[in-house]
Amino acid sequence: MKKTMLSLVAVAAMTVSLSATDYRAEKPDAWTAHDVPTAIKALYGEITPAEGDIKLKAPKVASNGGAIPVSVKTDIPAKSIAIFQDANPEAAVVVFAVTEDMVEDFSLKIKMKKSGTITAIVEGKDGKFYSKKLTLEVALGGCEG
Amino acid sequence: MKKLMLALASIALMATATMADAPAATEVKMKIKAKEKDGVVKAKVSISHDMLTYDQAKKKGVEANFITHITGTVGDKVVYDASTSQFLSKNPLIKFAFKGKKGDELKITYTQLKGETFFATKKIK
Repeated sequence: MKKTMLSLVAVAAMTVSLSATDYRAEKPDAWTAHDVPTAIKALYGEITPAEGDIKLKAPKVASNGGAIPVSVKTDIPAKSIAIFQDANPEAAVVVFAVTEDMVEDFSLKIKMKKSGTITAIVEGKDGKFYSKKLTLEVALGGCEG
Repeated sequence: MKKLMLALASIALMATATMADAPAATEVKMKIKAKEKDGVVKAKVSISHDMLTYDQAKKKGVEANFITHITGTVGDKVVYDASTSQFLSKNPLIKFAFKGKKGDELKITYTQLKGETFFATKKIK
């Protein structure tokens, strides 16, 4: 009985991980961390990312903190790409799981309460980590709606 | 040992629950644009969602509710996979690109905080 249970668990776990990587379920601490270094540590462990060739784009002055367009683009073969910021109560914004079929060029709109710094981390397929930071001003905070 | 078993069992239950939930996803309207050029599909997706953060929800006296995961698939290929926090903008707009071809169907699925899933599909132009 025990054995069947275990194998069931294994099968269930495999099916889930095949369809998608859920970083919220896998690394719950990364999403509740209040500052960027803690969040990065919770997500990837002790890493010392190198400055990499990552194109991180956002407006220098965001007029509306409720919808700041951010894009991240890189040629580094990546396993995952994560975006953090230090203006909100928690640091993590998004983690992309990258597959072979994807082009590493992601854009999205984010919320920031006040001016701050956005950090992008690229987890390379080579096991190395790369980062890029971008500081911007937010004219009107977007978290209070 | 018993505790471990219990924990494992609950994980298994959760896993089966999420699996069972998958077909029960609700179809919703999303604005999806997907266009192929030279083997690369550029996609733009806009989802109608409040993305209520814990802070905002507290002020309004309602429960927080935001998207926690967005997946894009073509057939059984995963072409977009993002674990997200409450700091995406209200009515999140995402743009991404992947290797694909005209005529295929792009399916966008998102999960919100309590686990409900919603999806929409669009043919790649």
